[in-house]
Amino acid sequence: MTAKQLMKDPLNLIITGVGGQGNVMISLIIGNALVKEGYLVTIGETYGASQRGGPVMSHVRISGETQYSPFIPDGHADIILGMEPVETLRMLRRFGNPDVITIINPRPIYSIDVTGGEAEYPDLDKLVETIKELSAKTWIIDATEEAQKMGNPIFANVILIGALIRSDVLPLDKKAVEPILRETFPKEIEANMTAFSKGMELIRQ
Amino acid sequence: MDTKVSGSQELFNEVIDTELCALCGACVGGCPYLVPYKGRIVLLDNCTLSEGQCYQYCPRTYTDMNAISQQIFGVPYGEDEVGTTKEVLMARSTDAQIRGRAQYGGTVTALLSLALAEGLIDGAILAKMSDDKIPSAFLAQSMEEILQCAGSSYMACPILEAYNHIPKDNNHKLGIVTMPCQILAISKMKKEPPQNRFSINNVKLVIGLFCTWALSPEGFYQFLRENLDLPQVTKFDIPPPPANRFDAYTPSGKVSFSLDQIRQFTLPTCAYCLDMTSEFADVSVGSVEGIEGWNTVIVRTDAGAELMEMAKAEGKLETDTLPPQNLAHLKEAALLKKKRALKEIIKRSGDKKNLLYLGLSESMVDKLLA
Amino acid sequence: MAGIEIDAPGTSQLFIGNEAIARGALEAGIGFAAAYPGTPSSEIIGSLASVARKMNIYVEWSVNEKVAMEAAAGASFAGIRALAAMKQNGINVISDFLVNLVMSGIGKGGLVLISCDDPSAISSSNEQDTRPIAKWLDIPLVEPGNFQEAKDMTRWLFDLTEEMGTICMLRSVTRIAHARGNVKLGELSKKEQKAYFDQIYDVRKAMPTTFMPVPSSLRHAFLHQKLDKAREKFELSSFNQYVGPDKADLLIITCGSCWLYSQDAVKALKLEDKVGILKLGTLWPLPEKFVEKHLNKSKQILFVEEIDPFLERSVMELVANLPPTSPRPTFYGKRSGHINAYGELNPDMVIKAITGIMGLTYQPRGIDYGKKAEEVAKSYVPERSITFCAGCPHRATFWAIKNTLKLDGRDGFVTGDIGCYSMALGPAGFFQARTMHCMGGGTGVANGLGKLGQFGFNQPVLAVVGDSTFYHATIPALINGIYNQSNFILVILDNNATAMTGFQPHPGTGMTAMGEPAKVVSMEALCHSLGARVEVCDPFDLKGTTATLLEMVAEGGGAKVVVMRRECELVRGRKEKHPYKVYVDPDKCIGEACGCDRLCTRAFLCPGLIWDKKTDKSKIDEVICTGCGVCVDICPQGAIIKEAA
Repeated sequence: MTAKQLMKDPLNLIITGVGGQGNVMISLIIGNALVKEGYLVTIGETYGASQRGGPVMSHVRISGETQYSPFIPDGHADIILGMEPVETLRMLRRFGNPDVITIINPRPIYSIDVTGGEAEYPDLDKLVETIKELSAKTWIIDATEEAQKMGNPIFANVILIGALIRSDVLPLDKKAVEPILRETFPKEIEANMTAFSKGMELIRQ
Repeated sequence: MDTKVSGSQELFNEVIDTELCALCGACVGGCPYLVPYKGRIVLLDNCTLSEGQCYQYCPRTYTDMNAISQQIFGVPYGEDEVGTTKEVLMARSTDAQIRGRAQYGGTVTALLSLALAEGLIDGAILAKMSDDKIPSAFLAQSMEEILQCAGSSYMACPILEAYNHIPKDNNHKLGIVTMPCQILAISKMKKEPPQNRFSINNVKLVIGLFCTWALSPEGFYQFLRENLDLPQVTKFDIPPPPANRFDAYTPSGKVSFSLDQIRQFTLPTCAYCLDMTSEFADVSVGSVEGIEGWNTVIVRTDAGAELMEMAKAEGKLETDTLPPQNLAHLKEAALLKKKRALKEIIKRSGDKKNLLYLGLSESMVDKLLA
Repeated sequence: MAGIEIDAPGTSQLFIGNEAIARGALEAGIGFAAAYPGTPSSEIIGSLASVARKMNIYVEWSVNEKVAMEAAAGASFAGIRALAAMKQNGINVISDFLVNLVMSGIGKGGLVLISCDDPSAISSSNEQDTRPIAKWLDIPLVEPGNFQEAKDMTRWLFDLTEEMGTICMLRSVTRIAHARGNVKLGELSKKEQKAYFDQIYDVRKAMPTTFMPVPSSLRHAFLHQKLDKAREKFELSSFNQYVGPDKADLLIITCGSCWLYSQDAVKALKLEDKVGILKLGTLWPLPEKFVEKHLNKSKQILFVEEIDPFLERSVMELVANLPPTSPRPTFYGKRSGHINAYGELNPDMVIKAITGIMGLTYQPRGIDYGKKAEEVAKSYVPERSITFCAGCPHRATFWAIKNTLKLDGRDGFVTGDIGCYSMALGPAGFFQARTMHCMGGGTGVANGLGKLGQFGFNQPVLAVVGDSTFYHATIPALINGIYNQSNFILVILDNNATAMTGFQPHPGTGMTAMGEPAKVVSMEALCHSLGARVEVCDPFDLKGTTATLLEMVAEGGGAKVVVMRRECELVRGRKEKHPYKVYVDPDKCIGEACGCDRLCTRAFLCPGLIWDKKTDKSKIDEVICTGCGVCVDICPQGAIIKEAA
C-alpha cells in the first residue's frame, strides 16, 4: 500500500457520463491502479444498450477489507466524477449527500429528447450552481475543451484521471497510475501522459 | 376579415381527408413534410407548427373572395358571371406548328412564347405529359419546351409544387398556366406573400384555363391504362356539349368513351368549385363552342391586356369577335356552375351560413342562388 | 492490464465476472469454447478468443447458440474439455438439444454451460431467470456470489461434469458478468489435450459408445442417480457458507449477486450481530442437510435472489417435507412482497426489506438534502433516450423506410428483430418497427402476415434483420417465404458487424473469433440461390434506396430481399477519419419557420445535430458528429454543407 490512506472504508466513487465518452476506461485505469496497491475494488458498470447515447455510470467501491457489491447504496457516494453536467446532477440526486466531493467537466451532450424538442436542457450556469449546492466541494475541469486543443476530444477522460489523482481524494498518486497508463496506451503514451499532466494542472487552478 | 391560419394537421382534417383536396400542389414542395405522390398528398413526418403556409394558401381553406377580387382587380367579387373582364374575344395562333400541337387554337402557347421571347418572363410552370401520359409540373424555359407541354391530360396535377421548389433567392420572372383552383391559391399568395419561398412578385403572368372538373390521376389513369396503348395517344379531348364524349387520338384513329363512363373519376372537390373561367387570372383561355380551332379569350388585367395587344401587333395572334350567343352561353354555363357548387356546399355543410372554405357575403349567396 | 492468460498464480487481478469465468476455464484446461454474442455473456468467448492461439485452444463465434452448444458437446464427446456460453435467450434456443443431451450424457471431456441472465432486461428484449430451467431439465446448477467464485466454480465444474458424466450449468447475472472485482489467480493448466472419439467408452456395454437419449425412461432414471451424487458433493461445498450470529433476529438466505447486496445492506444498517447471511453457491440439487442445519438460526427468514423465487420455493419445499416438530420460521421474500418478483435488486431494496421486517428506520443522508436533491433534479435532469450513433447507417435506412411506407400509403409496417436496430421501435428509428420478439422472430411473423391476402390484407410488410441475425436464425424463415410465396420484403442491415454486443465477427465479415481470415458467406449470393429477387442498396443514398424500396413494395409477389450495405460507424471510425467536415450555414437555416420546423434536430434526431437556442438555428456538435454527410440531403434549405475532410 502507498503511504496514502483511504479517506474512509469503503470509499465510493461514481464516474458518470454519456455512452461513448470513455467513462469505462477511467474506471478500469483507476481500478487496476488500486488493485496493484493491494485494495479490494469492485466496479459496477452499465453496458450494452446504454452505450448508444444513453447515460453510463460506473460505481467504484474501494476497501481495504471487503469486496463490496457493484452498487453504491443511495446517498452513499463519496466522490462523483462527472463527464457531463446533466449526468452529474442525475447522480447527485440519487447518490449525493452533504459530504460528497464533485469533479465536473461542464460540457453538455444533448440527448435526442432535447434536440427533438421533447425535453429542455437546463441553463448550464444554473446547472453548475446546483451541482455546487449539492456538493461539499466542487472542481470544474474543462476537460473536453483542453482535449480539443490537444486534437481529439477523447483525451478528456485521461485529463479527468489526472485531475482526480491530483485532488487527493483517492489513495493514489502519479507514480501508482503511470504504469497503468503505459500498459493501456502502449502506442500513444506521450499524448496520454500530457493529458494526464494537464488534468493535474487544472485541478490546482 | 377573419382568416384563421392553421397547420398541416388541420389541413388534413379539414381538406385532404375530407375529399376537398383539389391536388393543386400549393401545399407541397415548400417543406420536407408534404409531398405529392400518385394522386395523393402524403405527410412524411409530423410538422408541429400550428400555423403553416400549407394551410394558408390552400384554395380549400377559408378564402375571402371579395378581398382577393379587391386585391387583384380593385372591385368586389361576383359582379360578372365570368369574373372581372376587360374584353372577351376569340383568338388563335397564327403559327401552324403551334396550332398543330395545340388543344384548340394554340392561344396559350402563342402568348407564352411571345412573353418568353420579349423577356416578360424567363420561364413558365406548365403541366407536361410524359410518354405514358402522366402529367407533372414542368418549368419550361424555351419555345421547344413550351411546345412540349401543349395539350391537356384532363387529370389534376399538383403543379404548384414546382413554384414552391424554386429557390427563394431566384430573381427570374415566372409565368404559370393552370386551373382555377391553382390560380385561387396563387391569388391567396398575392394577398399574403409567402415566406422563405420564391417571391410571388416575380410571377408576372398567370394564364388560366376554363375548367368544369378535373379527373383523378390515380383512378382515371388506371382506366386509361386499361383501355389504351398510352404511348400511342397523341391528344385527349373533351369536345363541348352536346358531344358527351372523351376522345383519345391515336395514329390509327380516334377512340371515344362516353362521358358517363368518365364522370366517376371526377375529383369530389370539383363539385364545390364556383370558378369555371379562372376568374383571377391575367388572361383566361378556353374553347369556342361550335367553332373548332379557336379559343375564347377573356382579358382581365393590365398585364393581360398589354400582352394581348403585343401579340396582335406582332401578328402572333389572329383575333375576332366572339359571337354573342357564345358569350351568352358561356355566362350561362359559368353561372350554372356557381349555383350548383353553392347548392352542393350548403348541402354538405347543412347550413347556408357555413360555406366550408368559401368567404362570400350573404347577399352574394342569395344573389347567386336566386 | 493483465489478460486472462497471465501466468501469475497467487496474484490478484481486476477482472469482470466474464473474464473470471474465462480464466477458470483456462485453469481447468479447456480446449474448446463456442458461443453466440449475447449481452451479458459475450466477453467470456471474447476474452478466450483473444488468447486462443497463445493458449492453443479453439474458440469460435458460432452462428447461433444451438450450434455453439452442439459443437461444444461434440468436443466433449471426443474427450476435449469444452464450454458454451450464452445469455438467457440462448438457453431457450438450445433447449431441445439440451433435453436430449442430459439423457445421452456427455463425453470424456468435461462440458460446462454458462448462462448469463439480464435481470431488468438492461440489454435484452425480455427478462428471464434460467435457474428453473436447470431444475426442470435435471441439470446441476451453481451460481457464483462474486468474481473469485466465478473463476473457482468454473474451474471446479470441469472436474465435476467429468466425474458425473453430465453437463452442469453456472448461472451468472449482469452485475457479476460485467462488474469488476479482485480475482486471485490459480495455476494455468499445462496439460496437453488429445481429441479422439472413443468407440468403446464403457467396457461393460456390449455396444460401442453412443450419445443418444434412448431408451428414455431408463436414461432418465440414470440421470436422477447422477443428481443424487451431485447433491452429496454439494452438501460439502465451500461455496455454501454462513456468516452471522448463532441466534439471529433475521436470517437472509441468498445466492449470486444478491449475496453482495445483502452484505452491503447489513453493513449499511450496522446489523452484523443481529442478521445472519446464509449464502448458497450450489443451488440445485439443493444441499438439503446443509440448509436444514441453519434453519433454526432465526424465526424469520428473508430470501434475497434474482429474478424468480427459485431458492425460496426450493427451501419451502424442503421445509414442507420436514417432520412436524421441526421449526416453522416465517418466510419473507417474493411471495410476501418484501422483495420484487421482477427486475434486478440492489442494496437499497434489501435495506428496505430488512428495515420493513425488523421495524427499523434508515436515513442515509439528511432529510433536507434529500428533499433538495429531488426538487432540483425534477426540472434540471432531462431524459436521455438511447439512439443510433451519429453516422449510423440504420438511421438512414429507417428514414428511407419511413418515407417509402408513407408514400406507398397502404399502412405498411416493419416487423423487427434483435440488435441495434431494435431501436426502430422508438423515436431513434422513427417508430417504424411494430413487433419484436426473438432472434429471427420478425421474419417468421412476416411470413404469416404475407399470406393473409385472401383475408383482404394488403399492407406492405418489411422484415428487418441485422447481418448477424440473418445468419443466426433468418434463413429458414426466408426459405419458407420463398417456398410458400409469402408477400414480404426481407431487409438485411449489413453493417459488417454484430454491433450491439461488441462488434464480434460473423460469417459475413470475413474474420473468425480468433482473428483469422475466413471465407465470406455472401448473403446476397445465398438469397439469390434460394430464388429470391435480391437488391443491394447503400442506405446513405436516401433517394436511390427509397426508390428501390417503393418499387419492390409495389411489386408484390413472394418473399424478396434488400441488403442495406454500409459499415457500422463505430467500426469504420476506428479505422478511418471522418469523410466530411459538416457544418450548418446559419444564414440559410430557417430553423423553426414554416418550410422546416427543425427537421434535422426534431425529426431526423441525429445526436450530431443540436439546436442553438441563442440563434434559433441548428448546429453541428463537432464532438459527436462523425462527418457522414447524410443530413446534407435532408435539409430542405440546403443549409447543411459538407466539405471533403
